[in-house]
Amino acid sequence: MQTDLPSTLVRHVKPQISRSVAFWQSCVKHKWLLIMVIPGVIAFFLFSYLPMFGIYISFTDYQPGKALFSGKFVGLKWFTMFLNNAMSFRILRNTFLLGLYSLLWGFPAPILLALLLNEISNVKFKRLVQTVTYLPHFVSSVIVVGMMMEICSRDGAVNQIRHLFGFSDIIQFLADPKYFRTIFISMGIWQGLGWGTIIYLAALTNVNVELYEAAVIDGANRLQRCWHITIPEILPTVSILLILSVGSILYSDSQKILLLYNPQIYETADVIGTYTYREGIQNARYAYTSAVGLFLSILSFIMVFGSNMVSKHVTRNSLW
Amino acid sequence: MKKKPRQGSIAFDIANNTLMALLAVVMLYPLAHVFAMSLSIPSAITEGRVTWFPIGFNTVGYGVIFQNNDLLRAYGNTIVYAAVGTMLTLVVTSLMAYPLSIRELPMRKTMTIFIAITMFFGGGLIPYYLVIRNLKLIDTFWVMIVPGCISAYNVFVYRAFFQGIPTELREAAFIDGANDLKIYYKIILPMSKPLLATFALFSIVGFWNTWYDALLFLNDIKRFPLQLVLRSIVVLNQMSAGFETGPAQTALLSGKVNPYNVQMAAIVITMAPILCIYPFVQTYFVKGMIVGVIKG
Repeated sequence: MQTDLPSTLVRHVKPQISRSVAFWQSCVKHKWLLIMVIPGVIAFFLFSYLPMFGIYISFTDYQPGKALFSGKFVGLKWFTMFLNNAMSFRILRNTFLLGLYSLLWGFPAPILLALLLNEISNVKFKRLVQTVTYLPHFVSSVIVVGMMMEICSRDGAVNQIRHLFGFSDIIQFLADPKYFRTIFISMGIWQGLGWGTIIYLAALTNVNVELYEAAVIDGANRLQRCWHITIPEILPTVSILLILSVGSILYSDSQKILLLYNPQIYETADVIGTYTYREGIQNARYAYTSAVGLFLSILSFIMVFGSNMVSKHVTRNSLW
Repeated sequence: MKKKPRQGSIAFDIANNTLMALLAVVMLYPLAHVFAMSLSIPSAITEGRVTWFPIGFNTVGYGVIFQNNDLLRAYGNTIVYAAVGTMLTLVVTSLMAYPLSIRELPMRKTMTIFIAITMFFGGGLIPYYLVIRNLKLIDTFWVMIVPGCISAYNVFVYRAFFQGIPTELREAAFIDGANDLKIYYKIILPMSKPLLATFALFSIVGFWNTWYDALLFLNDIKRFPLQLVLRSIVVLNQMSAGFETGPAQTALLSGKVNPYNVQMAAIVITMAPILCIYPFVQTYFVKGMIVGVIKG
């Protein structure tokens, strides 16, 4: 009892500093730190937050050249306009299918390559393959598309190989909607295959070597070791990346499509990103295309949310 | 005592190594082909005989490219954009990340949330474009550099790195009378050289390969970066101004050069700097990628 007394006394004697005063004192004390963040805060505000507020124009009849928030409120007019547009089905279908096929082919490919790379015993050869397969990641979209156009041209490599196999006709691949998806997805795989393995290979370096040694003693062959040790080890990484990729299905790489496509193949190549560019930037239909963009973001958000929920139940791995 | 490998295992090794070698060949083919095309004689190109190696030797394509003022100017522009832009992004990002790595920073949590939100929400293309336009940045030098100078992801990777620097250093410097700005550039920046080098490389490659921002925000060909001019030559098949006249035109008409010679030569000189530094800096890229993924 006696020892308690002084401490309660001290608490009463200590001057009560109000919260805001303490806050200001700390601001003064750390003034340099606060000054240092200013450029970054301004940049985030201007280039990330202002565009977010700018979404408001999707609900107004914003006129080009006027102030950003001067338009009259029109509710969901632009959204219904897009959904009633004869083109919208084609665009949504292309966006979805292109994303889905890219995921189906492009997602497993680096995993397979990482597993095969992991089996190479010659370190030098492994490093050589890695160096070569990472390289396309650094080639710009313009160059990749330029090369693709040459390879797919009338007398390009693909037609020549077809010729070797006895086909006498010449196919203009980039003028036929049938081939666009294949061309686009193989381009994506060429560029992303090697780079995509990095994260899996990093996950594989964490595997305890003793596990493999124990498995060898138990008589497991290579396939069994791969199936029971290597694959479970990268599975958490795989599921996290899968959730992220499913979320970005609808954000097909419209920059590359914009370079590669032409009106002849809009039937399969026109996606939301390219449509927004043509209608929005080129035809200056800002309010309408801003609404189309928002529609895409909402769909995407639902997809990440959905895939995260599925993954939570199936593999217990989730983003949040 | 090594166990004798089974036959199936050996067969797998052979198959796997062959497959990997094939893959490397497929990956390299387009690049080798571009180089071969740029140097081949026009007749070999028209007959479609060029594959891995140049047929004949013909440098007229390069001659034409080096007379193309648009492309040369764009080359210079890109170097300036990459240099100034990389400096700016390193400075702004590290300036913001350092205070965030300090626990006593007032409003630290608010700022972290303020930044994190930008990772999950954005305005989309059109509102972004309109903001840039309303800020009167269209057709300026700065539009290629300032809007993309900071990203939430980078700030968080920098912050994680700065948090690894012992706090005793900062406290000791305080006792010596240094303020935070001085600590930042005398202690923190010199200790972060590996981080800054990695991000500088990523940034330079990013600037080297960028074209879409320029397509959106630039109309004046005098400000175009390299990739945008390359696009008009290679993708749109326009040889740009200066090509329709003069020696280039003569060369084309006389059949000394195939348009592919010119296009592929343009690709080669665009890719050359990246291909030259790539083997030496590849490990930086890989490390940067792994660090980013794990901490980010």
